[in-house]
Amino acid sequence: MTEFVELDVRPVLRAGGEPFSQIMGAVQGLAPGQGLRLFATFKPTPLLRVLGSQGFTHEARELAGGEWQVDFTPSAGATGNTIEAAPATSDEGGTWPAPAREMDNRDLDPPEPMVRILAATETMTSGEVLAALLCREPVFLFPELAKRGHCWRGAFEPDGKTYRVLIRIGTTQGVTA
Amino acid sequence: MLGATLSRWTLAYFGAGVIFLLTAEALMVLGVGYPASALRAPQTLLLVHCVTIGWLSLLMCGALFQFVPVLVAGPLYSNALPFPALLLILAGLLALLASFLQLAGLMPMIPHCFLAASVLLGSGFALAIWTLGRTLAAAWPLNLPAQFVTVGLCSVAATVAFGIIFTLGYGGYTHTLFLRALQAHGLPLHVLAGLGGWLTFTAMGVSHRLLAMFMLSPELDGAPTRWTLRLGTLALAIVIIAGPVAIAARGNPDLALLIAGLISLACLALYARDVVQLYRKRVRRVIELNSRMAGIALAHLAAATLLTIALAALGLFGRYGGALVFLVCFGWLSGLGLAKLYKIVAFVTWLECYGPVLGKTPTPRVQDLVLESRAIKWFWLYFIAVDVATLCLLLEAPLVFRAAAAAMLLASAGIALELVRTRRLVNVKAALRLPAGTRQPRLLFTFVAS
Repeated sequence: MTEFVELDVRPVLRAGGEPFSQIMGAVQGLAPGQGLRLFATFKPTPLLRVLGSQGFTHEARELAGGEWQVDFTPSAGATGNTIEAAPATSDEGGTWPAPAREMDNRDLDPPEPMVRILAATETMTSGEVLAALLCREPVFLFPELAKRGHCWRGAFEPDGKTYRVLIRIGTTQGVTA
Repeated sequence: MLGATLSRWTLAYFGAGVIFLLTAEALMVLGVGYPASALRAPQTLLLVHCVTIGWLSLLMCGALFQFVPVLVAGPLYSNALPFPALLLILAGLLALLASFLQLAGLMPMIPHCFLAASVLLGSGFALAIWTLGRTLAAAWPLNLPAQFVTVGLCSVAATVAFGIIFTLGYGGYTHTLFLRALQAHGLPLHVLAGLGGWLTFTAMGVSHRLLAMFMLSPELDGAPTRWTLRLGTLALAIVIIAGPVAIAARGNPDLALLIAGLISLACLALYARDVVQLYRKRVRRVIELNSRMAGIALAHLAAATLLTIALAALGLFGRYGGALVFLVCFGWLSGLGLAKLYKIVAFVTWLECYGPVLGKTPTPRVQDLVLESRAIKWFWLYFIAVDVATLCLLLEAPLVFRAAAAAMLLASAGIALELVRTRRLVNVKAALRLPAGTRQPRLLFTFVAS
């Protein structure tokens, strides 16, 4: 029987906050074999995928009022590390500084949002964080960020329409394929 | 790694597909197959499978190898397997075409050619379905467009299974009564599972996302879209499962097809509603050539639906079924395919060539890789020629049909040449074409870090 650590992000979501780092922090803090029981105001589909890529299976249950309880159970070999695309750094999963730069790319034709984000990352210094709003998950951007040594965290906002991605500039600036 | 990268062999599928499109159009110009021959004549079967396997299925497989990872935001299960899958499908198709030539008496009999076609096509499609299926399975739970694709993959499996039963029947390998009954009465099931389930239903799911992406329209995942998926799935399940059962029990699948047909009409009506919403609610007012031409193709799907209703009401399927299949294959599926190819080839070429240096050096935009003002005349010629050709089939004017097919061939060749120019970066200003750190993309192969 898996022991679950409970995390309720509903208050944060209701206040319009972004609980992604809180959730990833909780995942980091799990002891081997422990699972995470998450309460949210919507079904956190992108998160299911993120934790799935780290070896967690999930069981999602809808509660009253459209809220959700999701039990994440570690399977063999599950890691509590941050998203796989992120290269290992000393403060993995820790607190990131406030964004040094914010961009709203929601009204741009694809792939312009990706072009502007990559252009911005080239002008920023190591450790700085860029925040960008997009109208969809930037699937082609992630591998390019990983190649360039940057870390990223991203998720849909509670409205399910806006995707917010945080990018922390890596120390290996300028690495290309 | 989360996120999608480029698919290594997609361009090879596109290249092979376009060659078969041009071949099929050339055969029509030469008067091979329907309407010069009967609908079920070997010459017509040869022509039809050049179009459906050689062109449309290779196009769809190539597109899915690139697009399913985008839909599920995860990597393709294998970037290597699509290549042997392509070789198996091509070898199987050539064996199948040779088999039809033998049936027509145009080629000396080769022993076990039908068996070879069945084994090669079966294993090629199985490999493609396996690669895409594992990619989807890794991304559970699936979003709506990915669910459409999943149903499409089940349909292609059924289409290939029916096809193998027919092929083995032609080769004299099937001896049970049921398989013979299926061969005699099951052709509509094969056609509907293939054109309806595999090609149309998958294209519907993919178009939801592509149209939203290229026109900046809101993603549709509300109740009507979910019902489009459910009704379509139900209609296809009836065709694929109840159809053979009905043949075994009653000797023909007519009732099952009628029920499936009525359900599909509701599904298509909901899809039409979604498409109108996607175009109306778009943020981008001036849309690119690919979205405009996709609109024309969608209008041809609507026309094909109306023609189906009219033929069913008048009891004229037997006489004009060929015209309907032609309209679905060329007005709707090929029209949409060519329109989306025009965008996809430009995008993957741009990402392959300029992705590594984006933000570091000035790079062209995706639209700099194409010259829409030159391509648009080929697209108009194509659609007008398809419409004239369809009318010729309805009015039974085979000579004018061949002239219209010649115009289609010319237009398709024009579009194919534009695709080659895009891939070769010919339209990009020389100063921007190949900045330091980039390399010229190959025509039929994509460099992907493995």
